[in-house]
Amino acid sequence: MELRKNSGPLKWCMITLVVVFLTMFLLLPLVYIVITALSKGIDTYISSITDVYAVKAAWLTIQATLWAVLVNTIFGIAAAWCLTKFAFKGKKIISTFIDLPVTVSPIIAGLIYVLTFGRQSFLYPILDGWGIQIIFAVPGIILATIFVTFPFISRELIPVLTAQGTDEEEAAALMGAGTFTIFRKVTLPHIKWALLYGIVLCTARAMGEFGAVSVLSGHLRGKTNTLPLYIELLYQGYDFTGAFAASSILVILAVVVLVLRLLLEHRGQKELDIHK
Amino acid sequence: MNRMRKHKSIIPGFGLSFGLTITILSLVVLIPLCSLAVFTARLSFSEFIYTITRPRVLSGYWVSISTALIAALVNAVMGFIMAWVLVRYDFPGKKFIDGIIELPFALPTAVAGISLTHLTTTNGWVGKLFYEAFGIRIAYTRLGITIALIFIGIPFVVRSVQPVLEKMDIQYEEAAMILGADRRTTFWKVIFPELLPALISGFTLAFARSIGEYGSVVFIAGNTPYETEIAPLLIMSELQEFDYAAATSIALVMLAIAFIILSINAVAQSIVSRRVSGLA
Amino acid sequence: MSENTSYVELRHINKHYGDFHASKDINIRIPKGKLVALLGPSGSGKTTILRMIAGLEHPDSGEILIDGKVVNDVPGSDRGIGFVFQSYALFRYMTVYDNIAFGLRVKKTPEREIKERVSELMKLIGCEGLEKRYPSQLSGGQRQRVAFARALAPNPQILLLDEPFAAIDAKVRLELRTWLRDMITRIGITSIFVTHDQNEAIEVADEIIVTNLGRVEQTGTPSELYTDPATPFVVRFIGNSIPVKNYDRFQYFEERGKESAAILRPEFISIFKKGENVQYSKSAEEGVVEDIIFRGSNLEIRVRLHGNLLSAIRSINDPDIQVGETVDVFIHRLFVIDGEKVTMKYNQSLREESVII
Repeated sequence: MELRKNSGPLKWCMITLVVVFLTMFLLLPLVYIVITALSKGIDTYISSITDVYAVKAAWLTIQATLWAVLVNTIFGIAAAWCLTKFAFKGKKIISTFIDLPVTVSPIIAGLIYVLTFGRQSFLYPILDGWGIQIIFAVPGIILATIFVTFPFISRELIPVLTAQGTDEEEAAALMGAGTFTIFRKVTLPHIKWALLYGIVLCTARAMGEFGAVSVLSGHLRGKTNTLPLYIELLYQGYDFTGAFAASSILVILAVVVLVLRLLLEHRGQKELDIHK
Repeated sequence: MNRMRKHKSIIPGFGLSFGLTITILSLVVLIPLCSLAVFTARLSFSEFIYTITRPRVLSGYWVSISTALIAALVNAVMGFIMAWVLVRYDFPGKKFIDGIIELPFALPTAVAGISLTHLTTTNGWVGKLFYEAFGIRIAYTRLGITIALIFIGIPFVVRSVQPVLEKMDIQYEEAAMILGADRRTTFWKVIFPELLPALISGFTLAFARSIGEYGSVVFIAGNTPYETEIAPLLIMSELQEFDYAAATSIALVMLAIAFIILSINAVAQSIVSRRVSGLA
Repeated sequence: MSENTSYVELRHINKHYGDFHASKDINIRIPKGKLVALLGPSGSGKTTILRMIAGLEHPDSGEILIDGKVVNDVPGSDRGIGFVFQSYALFRYMTVYDNIAFGLRVKKTPEREIKERVSELMKLIGCEGLEKRYPSQLSGGQRQRVAFARALAPNPQILLLDEPFAAIDAKVRLELRTWLRDMITRIGITSIFVTHDQNEAIEVADEIIVTNLGRVEQTGTPSELYTDPATPFVVRFIGNSIPVKNYDRFQYFEERGKESAAILRPEFISIFKKGENVQYSKSAEEGVVEDIIFRGSNLEIRVRLHGNLLSAIRSINDPDIQVGETVDVFIHRLFVIDGEKVTMKYNQSLREESVII
């Protein structure tokens, strides 16, 4: 280990550089939000975040996030199981399509949903006949949120399942166990932490999505405004304290996510070491 | 039917998991992509060319690409240094730094956007400092856009390089040292080539993500046409005017650019891996 | 082997993986209660055969029969099979107890019976007291025993083992071989195991099926394979083999046919100091010792004869031989290879002398 022990000036230069860089780019904006949110006193802060539109926006954000987590968890488990436990043609294409949503600009994600469900689409008259409105309404927001977080859970599960192999499942199947028994007793314990980790990442991204949701939302205050859209609205109305107060809720959630992430990573690693 | 049975694995649940995967994938990704394709096919070619060559659109592409490239380069350098510091050195607060690197993933882009904007206007804490000391404006300039893109791109390079550096066998370096290589030679000839694929992949991911970024940029950009108007914003304004044809045309070019960037990465990875396995 | 005694049977089995022809017209019969080894180099298709019997893979054509019934369409879990995986595939997130109980729980056995069965098996494998441990807290040998117990728990009719000793240290491996053999003999279960190690197969199995390049080369008891190899591959693969060119230059082997090559084994060669043995010295040839290797319990003598470097074994109690010494070399017999045919040839002087005596 001699080589790696380098306590020369270079080490401290690099550490200082990193600390300054991260302080400027990450910590300062974070702290600034909290300070600005509280700048007009705690009462203003509380009344800002308990504003009826703020609460409604927060509720819509929670709804969209829950839907995204639900759909992507089901999808993530199914896709990871199907792609890692079976041999079939077309695996590569499927995983390319799964990863596609994160490489597409959120605005373009919004655009393709507008093209799919908007007035010019052949689906529009059908859905309209059933009284279903998707774009500029809550379903559009939920769809956009699912889309931008689409691969988050499967991407965490696939490497774990690939590393684990198929022996244990084969052994269980040979003894006559059914799909759900195998999944619950054999597979799930392996992916438990990765799954929780994926859910945390999915939650974080879902509640903060702005671009795609912005395209699909009708920007109706109290109806189709999520928390990030509500923040934009306040900011553009020069209500900076209000905007930063609403932001501070998301900052707290972001910090919670970071802490959870570290905890889950730690727990998962520990369990991996035990059952290696 | 007979063929299907022969391919069947003993592990149950293929039908269920495959069915769920394809159904959800179709609803969320494939059908919307098809409608993009269908809509594209209906565009008139001359109109498409006219839209994407409008000076304002061209300048939008240029603003997006140039700022994203600079931000990705800054992140490549800083990300590499951060990964190095986090893997190779021990110092108080290391755990904390490792933890907050993920912040740009966790913090909503719009929140980051308004915070960075407010900090860097000529009245903001940082903006005032730079304006009064050097006469440099940050917010509402391309510099501001670059800053926002650096923010969102921070985790990409660190998180690509870090695991590779962690797994790197110390024996390589020891072998090089024993053979008489000095620290600098060892770094450039032994360590760096091993990390290059991860660095390239982190860089291209950050680059691709930055080009399409909207939430954190839209506040700090100021959105002055020809100056600080990014391509995603152009799509947004066409959409608000319900000009779907123009929005789609601009988006198609952006998709092509993203595709090219990711292909460059794929090619670079295959060249590097071929070189490594070819020598072995 | 007659038709009615075979318990597991494969008829004209073919299996492809893409372009790779993994099993080429495999025909196998395994009698009830026997311990059979599938022996072959890696890539010879032995594991594929095992996995097809288990229902983990499906043949492209041909029939698999268990107890006289075609089981091609019977799922692996209903074939009455216990399977021990190469890596054991113990459920890493279950205790030893839960691992062994798994197959019984799936079959909805009452918990009281499960408890009895598990403790019976734990006693059988000599692992009492480890019930609450996780697989990662066991030694390699213990893991193998637990995998064995887990496979046996639901009372299978056939036990299949994929390279059961591959993942174990050399020393424990020898111990486990004897253990496994005793265990299987005691239970009397029809067992098939895959191995690439000829010593393992010879020591453990009642019968060996030698595979190569997707084909079955020969089936027989260890001694049959050893004394009467059917194909050149078996000659080379079983035992130590020394290829010899120009074997017709050896004395008393002059009657050469069309055969192109011959193979010797160290135990087919005797080496004597000049004048040490009168019986053979008359018909022995002179060779020069090039190397002597100490093998612990005996010596390996390398001697040059008609341009071939031969290896022979000599007891450490025999008179000392030096490198460079000219010695008497007597070859008792050898295998000659003619295309795909193998025949044993004896030293003709043996016949003549026996006539004299």
